[in-house]
Amino acid sequence: MKSKKASSFHEFARNTSDAWDIGDDEDEDFSSSSSSSLQTLNSKVAKATAAQVLENHSKLRAKPERAPAAFSDVPTNCKVSKSSSEAQLSRTAEEACVRSPLQKQQSLPLRPVIPLVARISDQNASGAPPMTVREKTRLEKFRQLLSSHNTDLDELRKCSWPGVPREVRPVTWRLLSGYLPANMERRKLTLQRKREEYFGFIQQYYDSRNEEHHQDTYRQIHIDIPRTNPLIPLFQQPLVQEIFERILFIWAIRHPASGYVQGINDLVTPFFVVFLSEYVEEDVENFDVTNLSQDVLRSIEADSFWCMSKLLDGIQDNYTFAQPGIQKKVKALEELVSRIDEQVHNHFRKYEVEYLQFAFRWMNNLLMRELPLRCTIRLWDTYQSEPEGFSHFHLYVCAAFLIKWRKEILDEEDFQGLLMLLQNLPTIHWGNEEIGLLLAEAYRLKYMFADAPNHYRR
Amino acid sequence: CGNQDCFRLIVLGDSTVGKSCLLHRFTEGRFPGPLHSDPTVGVDFFSRLVEIEPGKRVKLQLWDTAGQERFRSITRSYYRNSVGGLLVFDITNRRSFEHVKDWLEEAKMHVQPFQIVFLLVGHKCDLVSQREVTREEAEKLSSAFGMKYIETSAKDATNVEESFTILTRDIYELVKKGEITIQDGWEGVKSGFVPNVVHSSEEAVKPRRQCIC
Repeated sequence: MKSKKASSFHEFARNTSDAWDIGDDEDEDFSSSSSSSLQTLNSKVAKATAAQVLENHSKLRAKPERAPAAFSDVPTNCKVSKSSSEAQLSRTAEEACVRSPLQKQQSLPLRPVIPLVARISDQNASGAPPMTVREKTRLEKFRQLLSSHNTDLDELRKCSWPGVPREVRPVTWRLLSGYLPANMERRKLTLQRKREEYFGFIQQYYDSRNEEHHQDTYRQIHIDIPRTNPLIPLFQQPLVQEIFERILFIWAIRHPASGYVQGINDLVTPFFVVFLSEYVEEDVENFDVTNLSQDVLRSIEADSFWCMSKLLDGIQDNYTFAQPGIQKKVKALEELVSRIDEQVHNHFRKYEVEYLQFAFRWMNNLLMRELPLRCTIRLWDTYQSEPEGFSHFHLYVCAAFLIKWRKEILDEEDFQGLLMLLQNLPTIHWGNEEIGLLLAEAYRLKYMFADAPNHYRR
Repeated sequence: CGNQDCFRLIVLGDSTVGKSCLLHRFTEGRFPGPLHSDPTVGVDFFSRLVEIEPGKRVKLQLWDTAGQERFRSITRSYYRNSVGGLLVFDITNRRSFEHVKDWLEEAKMHVQPFQIVFLLVGHKCDLVSQREVTREEAEKLSSAFGMKYIETSAKDATNVEESFTILTRDIYELVKKGEITIQDGWEGVKSGFVPNVVHSSEEAVKPRRQCIC
């Protein structure tokens, strides 16, 4: 495989974006997008796989009656409020700009503060267009699927892959994670039973947090919670912190092989925010949870616990002794990058940068430290629609993410410049569009390399 | 490095003793606040230039490690390529002081066949009223281990500069005396131009290895 040209990601991304965009004339749309995206690939294998990707994309987009807007799930009814975190967002950005010459000079950046829910509803930082006809149709399609007697989960996954509209995200996530049954009649009872089960655990085990054998676990959770999403007021509220502590403690003692590992605390956040958003119209990050009833809070807590548990079931070897899941994935990432972008790979070798030095965190925290929270939520729409999204597809997303910065990487000509860049990738203004392009590239890589000899296999 | 010497240092200690804040203060001159930095996972990288004597500057490459036990298998691999280390505890947290010897043991075990020059750091010394470890007992421990002791605060910047400078200077002296030598395949010390270091004849004829820092 030849190393790609600098612009090829963007070229591909643009093409893919087009391929997913409307276009009543499907065939014409296809032939043009496939021919241009193939310019950068020259082997027969590549052609075949690319065709396969396009076919798959066509399936994806063909399902909703009208082709869906590729990446936008921007709802109409969310009044975009100028929240304090939005102010924070621009402030942080300003700071970043002011700081950057200093950083360059002294190479001393602070990891950018990006875990903002900021404008979670208005997911594209470049401004939210009003809901288009297509988006309305898309939402309608989701509503139809969700309200049918037996939700077609395959269909739901296909629709969710390019992003779930905010209005239906909570219920969609519960279904996609396997927490909520597809059968409508069983849903209410299941939820009730699971919620009771969770609070049964609390009753039974939570007092043991101060006992000797659980003390260390609880202590670590207790000191990490105030440091989780530190700049968002929502997470500084005692009630919210107590919810996080309970969720993490119960999960940890029920999974002694891994126990609580830093990073897992981050993984509760998207679920909590999405399930909370069901009850909050706007400005989630400043919402005072004492406004909610005890019952509602309990539901949010239990649902967050179960969905997080489902997620962790798939990646538990990331957190067991010696973290073999992460070691394996970082190796696989290295191998993958050596195949898709030899130039970047050799650049790392030349300056003795090891993949583990930057990609460990990408795996341990599922890129959550590298992306704004709104982007993580969008990313998880897809992860939950992909088979083995968190455990396997994530690898391709990491590869696509790395290659996204190839120009910046190749511009750095020493070890510390490279490490500083890789630890502080400037994604603070990222929104749906960037995540959409990233996912498209990851999807392409997955199909190109899934069956390649010697390549990482599950 | 150009023509600068380059040392790799590692920062060790229990979770929340303030390792990352210490490094932010040292490399950026600001205190992010304990609640403004999320827990370090794995290892983070920092760097800074220090002047250890007039006209003599050394580039520091600093590895900030996660305190949690589970990350030990990752952080371990960084000991070997470090020439120096800050062993940090929190003077308001007795446990973190008691764990100092465990951290030292852990490091010694994994740095073989090389050695690390350590400095014991009692951090958060601005919190006088919450002190749980006296200066005397910390000094006693440090001398038992044959290392220096210093108390620092990232919050009010007390001794932050000094702690890194002292360690760097000590390492520099050892390099000058030839007690620490630059070796191929070891990243602890890289030399741009160290006039006083005696190189083996083999090294002398080889072109100087390009320093990557």
